[in-house]
Amino acid sequence: MVKHIFTLIWNKKKSNFLLFLEILLSFLILFAVFALVIDYLRVYQEPLGFNTENLWIAHLDFDDRTDTLVVEETKANLYRELLSNPDIESVSFADRKSLLSGSSSSWGSDENGFFLQTLLYSSDIGFKKTAELNLVAGRWFNESDKTAKYTPIIINRKLAEGAFKGREVIDSIFTIRKEVKIVGIVDHYNAFGEFEDEDSVALFYEPKESISTPSLYIRTKANANASWEEKANQTIAQITKDKGFVINNLDRQRKEDNKAVWIPMIAMLCICTFLVINVALGLFGILWYNINQRKAEIGLRRTLGASRTDISAQFIGEVLMVVGFAIFVGIGFAIQFPLMKIFDFENINYYYAILGAASVILVVVLICAYYPSRQAALIRPALALHED
Amino acid sequence: MIKLQNINKVYRTKTVETLALNNINLTIPAGEFLSIMGPSGCGKSTLLNIMGLIDEPSEGSIEIAGQTLPDYNAKSIAKFRNEKLGFIFQSFHLINDLSIIDNVELPLLYRRVGSKERKALAEEALIKVGLKNRMQHFPGQLSGGQKQRVAIARAIVGQPDIILADEPTGNLDSSMGNEIMDILLRLNQEQGTTIVMVTHDESMARKTNRLIRLFDGNQVQ
Ligand SMILES: Nc1ncnc2c1ncn2[C@@H]1O[C@H](COP(=O)(O)OP(=O)(O)OP(=O)(O)O)[C@@H](O)[C@H]1O
Ligand SMILES: [Mg+2]
Repeated sequence: MVKHIFTLIWNKKKSNFLLFLEILLSFLILFAVFALVIDYLRVYQEPLGFNTENLWIAHLDFDDRTDTLVVEETKANLYRELLSNPDIESVSFADRKSLLSGSSSSWGSDENGFFLQTLLYSSDIGFKKTAELNLVAGRWFNESDKTAKYTPIIINRKLAEGAFKGREVIDSIFTIRKEVKIVGIVDHYNAFGEFEDEDSVALFYEPKESISTPSLYIRTKANANASWEEKANQTIAQITKDKGFVINNLDRQRKEDNKAVWIPMIAMLCICTFLVINVALGLFGILWYNINQRKAEIGLRRTLGASRTDISAQFIGEVLMVVGFAIFVGIGFAIQFPLMKIFDFENINYYYAILGAASVILVVVLICAYYPSRQAALIRPALALHED
Repeated sequence: MIKLQNINKVYRTKTVETLALNNINLTIPAGEFLSIMGPSGCGKSTLLNIMGLIDEPSEGSIEIAGQTLPDYNAKSIAKFRNEKLGFIFQSFHLINDLSIIDNVELPLLYRRVGSKERKALAEEALIKVGLKNRMQHFPGQLSGGQKQRVAIARAIVGQPDIILADEPTGNLDSSMGNEIMDILLRLNQEQGTTIVMVTHDESMARKTNRLIRLFDGNQVQ
């Protein structure tokens, strides 16, 4: 039977070619979209390493205050005043780029005898508590670091297991822009956001008095009174004698950033859905037309001993075989992506995308083929032969 | 043997009711070559289709090869048709997208015969109808007479007991018609195949064992 169906569609290859092409293109489009979406979702479910909920940021400007003593005093006052607000859990200074800023600076060199590339951030002691970073090895910065010989840094696991793989890192001295001592490891630190891959990170200790950490992070308590923001605004304006700042919610920012990815992604999936519906309708039409054209043939086959099941199987079989070929050829193309490493995606993404695209098409085809094929099986042989 | 008892066939459409067959009683012994004649629309094809189990009578009973057959949709009917009956039509009914040999193999396909054996048997049947050299051709490349010979090969490939032929020479000129008739006669004489043939041609009918005539759904002779 399979051979018979093959012979038949082979002999009709011209009229089957369009269906073949339609399915092949649909498969490739679905494959591409699925590969992309799967990659985004894979990145999305990776943890950021910090918690944006109840986390606020205000970018302050100390650049024109060259007097470090003034900065030191201003910062100390801010700490004291803000922490006296019962709605505020903790505060910390870090550099402008440290969380979801959209910009970064990186450093790379093989000064250490091996190549090392990492993003650079800096913060004071309060940052772990304020951002809710998760320390997995070593220790966090402490007061004694202020007088340390080498600048203490915290790295993320990505760096520890990347460039530093196989090396003793905790309490070791390396050169990262200057001589530093790694004191701890956090499990994740992905300042780029949820739709970007995490990179290697080195977080430098900068005492809060330093002017290179001008961003103020505030963690409010979960049940904070809404009026805290008003009060904090006043406090900051008063102490810094500056009104050119805004307190932004990082959670809102994270969601806004994500929207920029979600919206096109959903749009793409909608277009795909329309594509699939189109293919389904087309397929339905082709089959319907086919069956009407071939009524006499159906009557003949029934007369020669085909059961109803044989007739249904014939039509479903023909479609499945053409579609099967198309998917087969499509997989031939698709598999080149992981084999030739065309994009920087993980191979497993591609395999899932192939599986997804093939299943969607097969399911749609089966649904569309089922009803016309049932109808074909119900055609009465005497009538069908008579009509010709 | 085919035994029809009190066969009535009524076609109902929204506007008219046609009595296509009226109380037909007919017994065809095994090995007989019977022809059916009658004016157009008198019910000949209807009668043949009922014998061939591809149409059901409105009333009456049919017995073929000792079996009474009630349920027309059952799988067993398809199997029965496939094994016991061969069909030949005026308009050949070949599948244009299949080669001659693939067309002839069809009944065996539904008998689930393996592809090698199918091919061998189809070749044998095509040799019998003198189309050995046309096996890989397609129906569109053949003349009417050749097409009908393909249809005969298809009808005999499964070695049925009974062949039902509806105006097999109707679309052919007389010399081609005679060729077809000779093949059918040989089949009847040499293999003992029972043949029921509808025809408009008196000279063809005269070559068969028995002739019945229908008129407006009634058997008149
Ligand atoms: N499916 C149908 N629906 C309604 N009426 C039908 C149907 N099939 C046949 N008939 C009617 O039944 C009658 C007998 O038809 P049938 O085809 O058996 O005639 P016939 O003797 O084979 O004629 P011809 O020599 O032209 O082939 C005709 O009046 C025809 O119109
Ligand atoms: Mg007729």
